[in-house]
Amino acid sequence: MGLGQILAKRVGYGLVLLIAVLILNFTLITVAPGDVADSIAGDMGGADATVMAEIRERYGLDKPFLLQLWAYVSKVAFLDLGYSYFYNTPVTTLILEKLPATLLLVFSSQILAITVGTLLGVMAARKPNGFVSMCVTFLSLFGFAAPVFWSGILLIIAFVSIFPIFPVGGMSSAIMEGGFFARAVDIAYHLFLPMVTLASIYLALYSRLTRASMLEVLGSDYVRTARAKGLAENKVFYKHALKNSLGPLVTVAGLQFSAVMSGAVVVEAVFNWPGLGTLALQSILARDTPTIMGILFFSSFVVIIVNIVTDIVLRLIDPRIRSS
Amino acid sequence: MQRLIKTFVATATAAALLASAPMAQEPKRGGTLTMAIQQTPRHLNPAVQSGTATGQPGTQLFASLLRYDEGWDPQPYLAESWEVAEDGLSVTINLVQGATFHDGVPITSEDVAFSIETVKANHPFKSMFEPVIAVETPDENTAILKLSKPHPALLLAMSSQLLSIIPKHIYGDGQDPKSHPANSENVVGSGPFKLVEFVRDQHVILERYEGYFEKGLPYLDRIVMRIIPDASTRTIALESGELMLSGFEENPRNLVRLKKNEDLNVSDVGYAAIGPVNWLAFNTQAESEVSDPIVRKAIAHAVDREFILNALMLGTAGPALTGIHPGSPFYDASVEPYDLDLDKANKMLDDAGYAMGADGTRFGLTVDYGWPTMKPFAEYMKPQLKKIGIDVTVRSSADFPTWAKRISNWEFDMTMDNVFNWGDPVIGVHRTYSSDNIKAGVIWSNTQQYANARVDELMAEAGSTNDPEKRKALYAEFQKIIADELPLYPLWPSPYHTVSNKSVGNAPDSVWGTSSPLDKVYLK
Amino acid sequence: MSDTMQPAQPEPEIQSTSPLREMVSMFMRNYAAVAGLVLLIAIVLFVFVGPLIHRTDPFEMVWAPFTFPGQEGFLLGTDYLGRDILAAMMVGGQVSMAIGLAAALVSVIIGVTVGAFAGYYGGVIEELLMRFTEFFQVLPTLLFSMVIVALFGASLLTVTLAIGVVSWTAVARVTRSEFLRIRELEYVAAARSGSARDLYLIFKVILPNALPPIVVQANLMVGSAILFEAALSFLGLSDPNVMSWGQVIGSNRPYILDAGFAVAIPGFAIFLTVLAISLVGDGLNDALNPKLRQR
Repeated sequence: MGLGQILAKRVGYGLVLLIAVLILNFTLITVAPGDVADSIAGDMGGADATVMAEIRERYGLDKPFLLQLWAYVSKVAFLDLGYSYFYNTPVTTLILEKLPATLLLVFSSQILAITVGTLLGVMAARKPNGFVSMCVTFLSLFGFAAPVFWSGILLIIAFVSIFPIFPVGGMSSAIMEGGFFARAVDIAYHLFLPMVTLASIYLALYSRLTRASMLEVLGSDYVRTARAKGLAENKVFYKHALKNSLGPLVTVAGLQFSAVMSGAVVVEAVFNWPGLGTLALQSILARDTPTIMGILFFSSFVVIIVNIVTDIVLRLIDPRIRSS
Repeated sequence: MQRLIKTFVATATAAALLASAPMAQEPKRGGTLTMAIQQTPRHLNPAVQSGTATGQPGTQLFASLLRYDEGWDPQPYLAESWEVAEDGLSVTINLVQGATFHDGVPITSEDVAFSIETVKANHPFKSMFEPVIAVETPDENTAILKLSKPHPALLLAMSSQLLSIIPKHIYGDGQDPKSHPANSENVVGSGPFKLVEFVRDQHVILERYEGYFEKGLPYLDRIVMRIIPDASTRTIALESGELMLSGFEENPRNLVRLKKNEDLNVSDVGYAAIGPVNWLAFNTQAESEVSDPIVRKAIAHAVDREFILNALMLGTAGPALTGIHPGSPFYDASVEPYDLDLDKANKMLDDAGYAMGADGTRFGLTVDYGWPTMKPFAEYMKPQLKKIGIDVTVRSSADFPTWAKRISNWEFDMTMDNVFNWGDPVIGVHRTYSSDNIKAGVIWSNTQQYANARVDELMAEAGSTNDPEKRKALYAEFQKIIADELPLYPLWPSPYHTVSNKSVGNAPDSVWGTSSPLDKVYLK
Repeated sequence: MSDTMQPAQPEPEIQSTSPLREMVSMFMRNYAAVAGLVLLIAIVLFVFVGPLIHRTDPFEMVWAPFTFPGQEGFLLGTDYLGRDILAAMMVGGQVSMAIGLAAALVSVIIGVTVGAFAGYYGGVIEELLMRFTEFFQVLPTLLFSMVIVALFGASLLTVTLAIGVVSWTAVARVTRSEFLRIRELEYVAAARSGSARDLYLIFKVILPNALPPIVVQANLMVGSAILFEAALSFLGLSDPNVMSWGQVIGSNRPYILDAGFAVAIPGFAIFLTVLAISLVGDGLNDALNPKLRQR
């Protein structure tokens, strides 16, 4: 199968998954006690039975379940995730507004984790019983065992309370004067602690992974052949071993994406980062069901996209997969 | 989550403050004020949306008819003068000359009539303009409000964000005012500042309206309202000087910390008019033991108000002994305070036949809370009421609507609650006790299902007379009866504070806090 | 049917006795794993025996709020209501561990069932079940369980189910691949051609042999379920009537800047527990899968 065909198949399958996700989300929200009318009524300071009936009619909540579901799915098909009564804004707009902050957090922390993690992994693999190797083992245990909000809080205690170097939260300073560069610096300054917190979990994972796959590749036949051919050790190391350990790294990074998003929700809560996680938490607290469903759907959508991209990247990196 | 009724807001008359501060320097024109608001406004039009989030920018964008000063006295704003008829059945408003909306169109009595109609039809606080049966507009600058009965709360309801004067030529286009596009974009206001930019969860930026009707005002060029939900973040930004002003600050730990800072003024003046009172509400018709007044009194004796004030509120709040805010002229502190007395509480329950079981409990009750800041107080009830043999289960509601639904459909024993007085008891107090306000599904109605004919009578009388002394006497009797029958046990007023940097001149520390026009605020 | 099974059974029997001893000795040679086990035992003792010695009700307000650890005789200090954090760590640990175990059990039950059927039957059933698994993999785990807990109310049951439901997919994958491998083995093939029922084969013959990697996975699951519960509590989605480590964190969270210890201590307890569990898990993994040891 050519790459195009595979892509088409994956995309088609992804669409089916998305519809299933929509149905599940919608069913769950409908089955749960309370509905949008309750939220609107609560927000208005209460409403009696007639007003409730009116609201239900306006939002189509009085229709049979399947009709509502159909209305929702067909709206989503046109990228309309509904209207948030709480924010008075279309859900799609809301999500797109918050998306950059979350993407910035997720990608910067992933880049940090992958670069530092790979670096540590490579150093560890060079001396499998050395100091760095031990550190990697220790780090990976820490990364797995430490609750992400706890690492965040420890960082806050250290760098906000005791040594006030970093801001306690938010994405930018109160005064937003200055040019693009000043703003970028300001955001980076606010980004630092949340980024490090989120990266700490994955840093461990990637360093351990790189170390393991490097060791495996270094022990394999063709590296031995390469060595036997008299290639310089460094070249063997970086050209062959490192390149071959990229595959597992991409796979894991792709697979972990959903977990990274979960981590981001918590980190956003710790540091008040104004992203999708914060939006999700706020809409859960307000039971803003259109927004809740929108975010759930959008997250699944992103995971599916990342899965497809991972798959394609893997095939490009490693031609062997293509044949299998 | 305390959006809504929890957030009433109004006007600061900085002039009064100026007079009382002999050291005050000449106000300077210019500069940008950076202040905080605590949540993203749904939109910026207070005529159809309550809440401080909307009120703080909203009172800059829209002027009201009156301002209120420290002594609860009305002062001119868009209304140059006003007159209440002898019989209390009509109020004549004379508008100031030359006032214009931000698009240059003159503000007329038509707009006043339209604004009152819009507020009456759309604002959640129905009692504000309920007795207004008609608004006559004999000429461009005169509006006459016709009332069905004397309405003592009317002047207050014409101030601040309760009555924003909105342009008829914009909002009168037939669209639903609650979702009108001009509520958050291209806002055409009547106030001292106009909208530059509103970015959800980020900021509201305002700049001086050059055509503002008060000459020489506002002093500030710009106001940047940063939306910062987290109290700790605001605290740090205030300490660093990044933020110059923040109102409605109530987190005790942060207040204690801010008070120590020499660059900051921390003031609790003014919020009495808003009157946020926290209490433990009882479902007087519950099937559980809490429907017995003796049980409620025993609980009141078991709850240690001092512990709440000192340990949980860190001394930032005093006691509230009745459902009327301690700062209100109608507050009566002579009611039964139910001091902590566990022995007495236990004896009351023993005598009433609620025998202590072998496991140290008599019976179980639930306590609810509706939003996260109320959780500690609900959690406190569990170990505390255990001491008199009541096994309390704390019921959490993951979201506000779930709580509101439970409470407003009377599916509860006890709940922590926070209800606002609205300056005048007619607006914010009566609804909690009036027997014809027991309405299924309506939160902050009489969710205690309390009914007492004498109480209804007292409220009806106090609500239809303009004589302050008579009202005071009526409300005193009212508070005595409530304290005796305990449909709810009042605990403390929310300790709202205004925190400002000392570089801010005429900081709004008069009665209405930061939801007042900041036209007289300047930077030193 | 038992007649036909007789020849097949001794084999797994033999496999599981002497390797057990070998496994134990291998595990004991792994110092990190032993350290993890010792730590885990210490935590279990602290949590279950501790309350017998330190008899304080974790809900009782015993002293001034936020007494610093070590002061006034409170080893770990008091929380915002003046409740003893040491008592909360002990009693709360029981709940956290119980939730961890129960949620892991839920995910193992779902995961093993799905994986076993998929691996055993293959074909369309496998295809469908694995698509089903994939479907759950694209759900945003934390967000999804937050929504479940919020919608249906925070109780031990909803929290446990919410965690279990979103975390079984890894178990299903492991189980399936083990089943795929084992079902091809001779003794299974022999039994299949006989009259043994499918369910008997799945749960009595193949499953016991597929257990080692599942055990390792389940062990990890316990750790991540504890973390999960803590994260939900941190976000305010926990039952305030039940003391758990997460609950202590959630209720003291607003006071991080003034009294970070009330959040840092339960966080540390969770860290130690999950660390111990994962060390033991690593040891188990190495002992059960000798081939993978050098990883």
